[in-house]
Amino acid sequence: MKLVGIAGSIADQSYNRTLLKFIAKHAEGVAEIEVLGINDVPMFNQDNDQTNSAVIQNLSKKIQAADGVIIATPEHNHTVPSALKNVIEWLSYKIHPFDGKPVMIVGASYHTQGSSRAQLHLRQILEAPGVNAIVLPGNEFLLGDVKEAFDDNGDLKDKGTIDFLDTTLQKFIKFAKVINMIDATDDYENEDLTSSNKIDTTVEGVDMSDDDWLDKAAKKTNAVEGDTYVKLDCGLLTVNQLNYMLKTTPLELTYVDENNQFIYYNNFLPTEKMLAKRTPAQVGDSLAMVHPGKERVIKHVKQVIHELRTGKTDLVSMPVPGNSGDHHVMHYYKAMHDEEGNYKGVNEWAVDLKPIVDEYLKETGQKLVPDPDNQLDATAGASKKPDSKPETKPEVDATSSASKH
Amino acid sequence: MNKFIAIVGSNSKKSTNRELLKYMKKHFQATAEIELLEIKDLSLYKKSADEYVPQEALDMAKKIEASDGVIIATPEYDHSIPAVLSSALAWLSYGIHPFVDKPVMITGASYGSLGSSRAQSQLRQILDSPELKARIMPSSEFLLGHSLQAFDDDGNLKDEKVVKQLDGLFQDFVQFVNISKQLNNANEVNKQKAEEFSWEKD
Repeated sequence: MKLVGIAGSIADQSYNRTLLKFIAKHAEGVAEIEVLGINDVPMFNQDNDQTNSAVIQNLSKKIQAADGVIIATPEHNHTVPSALKNVIEWLSYKIHPFDGKPVMIVGASYHTQGSSRAQLHLRQILEAPGVNAIVLPGNEFLLGDVKEAFDDNGDLKDKGTIDFLDTTLQKFIKFAKVINMIDATDDYENEDLTSSNKIDTTVEGVDMSDDDWLDKAAKKTNAVEGDTYVKLDCGLLTVNQLNYMLKTTPLELTYVDENNQFIYYNNFLPTEKMLAKRTPAQVGDSLAMVHPGKERVIKHVKQVIHELRTGKTDLVSMPVPGNSGDHHVMHYYKAMHDEEGNYKGVNEWAVDLKPIVDEYLKETGQKLVPDPDNQLDATAGASKKPDSKPETKPEVDATSSASKH
Repeated sequence: MNKFIAIVGSNSKKSTNRELLKYMKKHFQATAEIELLEIKDLSLYKKSADEYVPQEALDMAKKIEASDGVIIATPEYDHSIPAVLSSALAWLSYGIHPFVDKPVMITGASYGSLGSSRAQSQLRQILDSPELKARIMPSSEFLLGHSLQAFDDDGNLKDEKVVKQLDGLFQDFVQFVNISKQLNNANEVNKQKAEEFSWEKD
């Protein structure tokens, strides 16, 4: 289980941060907890939208990818610190990473209250529709008299308090599992494979299903061709040079944008010779068009894209069924991001690993022998991760590749 | 004539809460002098080892101290008051205590029908905390719903019923301020207590 912890304080020294760090350390082996800082978050202001700033995008991505969030709140004036409220405002304005996310509230204070009133306000705030977190009900962890609570190593001293914290944490982990299970099904369903959301780079006014989409869209956007230079992140190439390079990259590459529109592949082989059989006429199609009427495929495509879009994983890999001794074709899907960390679509590549493995064996003088301890299916096991979640992991399926039609 | 400070609880250029306070300033000019106070330039509240308080907050505190009462107009973000208002109130209770025993009237406007009701109820709890210890006018609520449609081109409230309610509440607030001036026996002790309240680490 992957959790993130947010200390609701930007003070140089904070007992709530100490508490979270202790929880992170103490929970090792049960949950992996990353403590996030909120120090550099600018003041929320509708006139100066900074949703795309690196600090807010980073918080959002980490929260989205986590199975749950633990918030430790101090109490200022009977409520949560403005710095914490400020973060929640950014994360409920244009983006909503808390939506459906299991949250546990804890807090520490000097006196006996242990931030009890701030915790109640925080519950109300997290319940607001724009935030829509799912707060663990019925459990409160209020650490009063915090000055006396920790030893020099930052560990809680009182055994009773630690036991109580353990119980609460275990309940939260169970709670998070259940909530994530409920949520998992409808979440990926919202993935729109018809590419009907317009994004910055969508070319409007050309029918997606048009076989000549590329020519028409290029004309519409005055796209450069041939000997025109393109300044890249680290280089200057002409469009022709770019094409030469992409076509000699020994992988079949496909670009699907964040609107799920298939907009490019490095067409270097006749369709029938490709591992994933794409055709030039498909360029511009939405993913729904690429996979017409195949519900099982659609479901898996949505799951893969959803995992990449939400940051649950950065790479999905799957072998193509029917792989035999002669070839072992793999499909890889990697999430792409811009400089600010925003999701920018999928980079898919297909490659036959067999010649690579053969080459390796030849060069190193080794040979493959069956592993007597192997419990996985010999052909489907290559990409299986032991810690992957079966409910969201796409099944191996002849038609499950995003690029197959 | 009473002198009131009206705090705009929003840092947005376009704010119907600001419009509401502007309207009150104009509408009640015969009864009281109302000065609008903006909080949009205050930095986000942060504790520091040297208990630094920005000059803007010190200036605001002076104005609040010198006033007979404070009117706050709060929007509602996520069922609560905006961070920018919460931050301003934190600065205004960090080593300085202009709100202690100060009469406060809470108002608020929202685009929907609720008129920032939940933010207002949290604001009451916040103003009641030991470091602020304001005297919030009891049993009074002014919730301006559908605030985008509430004003005419001159910035006046269109609905007569709403105007009448606000008139009544404002008269009551003036009375409340007058009564409050006689309730000052514990003021010294209250100020002392607020000063002694420890902020230190959190």
